[in-house]
Amino acid sequence: MRETKMDRNKILLNIQRSRIKPVNLPEPFCSAEKEGDKTILFKEMLMQTGGDCIEVNSTEELNSLLDNNFRGATDLRRNELFKNFLSYSNKDSLERLKTVILEGQFGVAENGSIWIDDSNFPNRLISFICEELVVCLDSKQIVSNMHEAYLRIDNAISGFGVFISGPSKTSDIEQHLVYGAHGAKKLVVIISHQSILE
Amino acid sequence: MQIGLFIPCYIDQFYPKVGIATMELLEKLGLDVYYPSEQTCCGQPLANSGAEDEAIKTYNNFVRIFSKFDYIVSPSGSCVYHVRENYNILPQTDEVRKVRQNTFELCEFIVDILKTDDLKIDFPHKVGVHQSCHGLRGLKLATPSELIVEHYSKVHRLLKKAKGIEIINLDREDECCGFGGTFSIFQPDISVKMGKDRLDDHRRNGAEVITATDMSCLMHLEGIARRQNREVRFLHIAEILNSNRL
Amino acid sequence: MTNHAHRAARFLKNEERAAWHDKTLWMVRKKRDLMALDVPDWEELREQASQIKRHSLSKLDDYLVQFEEHAINNGAQVHWASTAGKLNEIVYQIIKENNASRIVKSKSMLTEECGLNPFLEKRGIEIIDTDLGERIIQLKREPPSHIVMPAIHIKKEEISELFHRELNSEEGNTDPTYLAATARLHLRQKFIEAEVAITGVNFAVAENGAVVVCTNEGNADMGVHAAPIQIHCMGIEKVIPRLSDLAVFTRLLARSATGQPITTYTSHYLNPKPGGQMHIIIVDNGRSELIGKEDYRDSLKCIRCGACMNTCPVYRRSGGHSYHYVIPGPIGSILAPHSNSKEYEDLPFASSLCGSCSDVCPVKIDIHGQLYRWRQDLSQQGARSPIKKGIMKVSGKILASDKMYDWSGKVARWCIKYLPRVLIYNRLNTWGRERELPEVPRESFKEWYNKNFREGDKNGQK
Repeated sequence: MRETKMDRNKILLNIQRSRIKPVNLPEPFCSAEKEGDKTILFKEMLMQTGGDCIEVNSTEELNSLLDNNFRGATDLRRNELFKNFLSYSNKDSLERLKTVILEGQFGVAENGSIWIDDSNFPNRLISFICEELVVCLDSKQIVSNMHEAYLRIDNAISGFGVFISGPSKTSDIEQHLVYGAHGAKKLVVIISHQSILE
Repeated sequence: MQIGLFIPCYIDQFYPKVGIATMELLEKLGLDVYYPSEQTCCGQPLANSGAEDEAIKTYNNFVRIFSKFDYIVSPSGSCVYHVRENYNILPQTDEVRKVRQNTFELCEFIVDILKTDDLKIDFPHKVGVHQSCHGLRGLKLATPSELIVEHYSKVHRLLKKAKGIEIINLDREDECCGFGGTFSIFQPDISVKMGKDRLDDHRRNGAEVITATDMSCLMHLEGIARRQNREVRFLHIAEILNSNRL
Repeated sequence: MTNHAHRAARFLKNEERAAWHDKTLWMVRKKRDLMALDVPDWEELREQASQIKRHSLSKLDDYLVQFEEHAINNGAQVHWASTAGKLNEIVYQIIKENNASRIVKSKSMLTEECGLNPFLEKRGIEIIDTDLGERIIQLKREPPSHIVMPAIHIKKEEISELFHRELNSEEGNTDPTYLAATARLHLRQKFIEAEVAITGVNFAVAENGAVVVCTNEGNADMGVHAAPIQIHCMGIEKVIPRLSDLAVFTRLLARSATGQPITTYTSHYLNPKPGGQMHIIIVDNGRSELIGKEDYRDSLKCIRCGACMNTCPVYRRSGGHSYHYVIPGPIGSILAPHSNSKEYEDLPFASSLCGSCSDVCPVKIDIHGQLYRWRQDLSQQGARSPIKKGIMKVSGKILASDKMYDWSGKVARWCIKYLPRVLIYNRLNTWGRERELPEVPRESFKEWYNKNFREGDKNGQK
């Protein structure tokens, strides 16, 4: 263990020396809500970020969709495969993952993002290393904005959590937008209008 | 109400017609206008170059000369901004405070103090309004394009009632012209490039006349335009406002 | 002419490139406007962000201690570095202790500032920057020219050439999708083989010890979750009080930076992966001193969005390299003189003080106000050359005396009017290089006035 205690004391002392007049911490922000149906707004923003959105009305419809359109995908929603997935799989095998299906905890309408954390995947690398990420979301689990989102998380983050908004992208080459920089090249969100949690 | 007329140094020396137009306009509006001839400068050129300390004597003179007036009006957004904002380094006596609070740029004086906006102007031309930065963001003469607030513009309010006028829309409605005081001398390449870009914008959108609240911006733009033989006229806002039937 | 002015003149020589640079960054600024317009309480949000940051700076020591406590409880190791050198040493130690040799790094302006890459490379450690833009300039051996879009100054033809040379891509293929795919393939192996992943920190939450990193590419996460050892480097000013405060900043950051509602990935790291290590290095490098400077303290509110650069008409026309500092543009120009006032004394003058930067800053730093302040402070500290000092002194005297002022004005006008053009428009006349001097009127306003109104009549004698 590095001995950085001296530096720690030096830094803290230096800060204390500046004797700044106290400034009040503002009350948590109360944001005006944007008008409109949250699901519609979410869908709009998701598409803007380059994601795809499919809506289903029942668990049957969802399963049929997954069977037909995402055949061969690695389904890691809370199920047997999730439980048995080695939590620290060989990276080369992870690298070979093509389509992965996860469950999202909730979506944020103002930016089309979805929150997932350690409880949604057996391995943290999965959502980034796969080629295509499919996230199942309950339409009733869409909040308006980031203020509501963080209230919802309420400090109950597992060791890692992430808001994902669209597929990975870059504009670093002359401002041309390209999807699939390093993370998933494609993001599909399936919104269920019936609760998908058993 | 006694108005002290403050004529910026470069208008005094090179564009007296702007001072004359300002004085005439204020008198047409029924005001008692005085021009204290011992005035020199607001001190901005020195302060912007980092020589605030050398400018203090000039600041004090300004306060002394103008403190007797109810309002001090000037055809210059940047000079007025300088007095209102940067004279904060002087000890804030009653005199200093009075001068700082009551120094106004011409357009804001007409709109906010005289509370009028119809100057019976006749000006049948296509006009491009250059929104000088100090007036725009410093004096809040209008909403800058980057601020997300309800839109207003005191300058446009006065101009749009002019008979025959067509105010053109620009591609970049409030980009800086590049004058910036001594910036124009010490960063000449960027300064001129910015000016050329502004002129191109006005030309693309058909301006016959370019106007602004600051003659310094216009002096810089006109300098480039004349060197390039561009066909466009430059008039300070006071000159347009004074083209009236009052 | 100053350092920035010279470099800017060079930048402008390539007219086409300069015009492209200006137009492209203006478009990013317009995208920001559209996004901001879409948020019903955008200006209130900015005010909130400003206050949260101001508050945090006023209690920074408390929040840093709180953050450290939670981070350690979560299972992270926390280190403190008072200088750039110390940061580099700590990173090096961690690498050596773990016998690591394959290092990946995602964007961190802090490590750029501290010179981490050259430090490690000198000690034989290869470090790969994984942001596409950062990788491009790393291969090209150039510094970044923008803090968010570091390769904005480079054309796709140059990138194609570079990738062909360094990554064996197809010669002459300038398709951005192909080039990005090439980089993806090349870096993928690096991620999988990585032993140490280094990241920057956008926000550090005191309330729970979380480190938050925002990316569009996903490269921070690829590195952090693949490599057994993760190291997060943060400046002391990055700490914010509560998780809920993140809502304010995440709503402002991407909208201000690139005109997106949020970055693709907003990752919250609290603990290491099973069997892994998580290190957080808290860095000072002059920041605690800056807190003590009341005029400039607010510059520490910066969340490194780059909006000030996109809106700055001078930055757009001079490019980031003209600022010769790790962070360019308006914010760079107020941070740099604190780091070295002699080397960067030109930067506060590389501005027309238009004020647009302050208006777009999501945390409401009064950037143009600080630029003005720096001009005064630098001049007093002796940044003025003896010539400039002399000129200012003389000017000060002239402007303070109405008689001297009148006389000087008369002389200037006479010279412009009567001296031959070749004498006036020479090399010394910088104004006159591309501009005409104003036409000289018959008389000054004062002369006109004194002629037409009796002495004492209207000149203020009541």
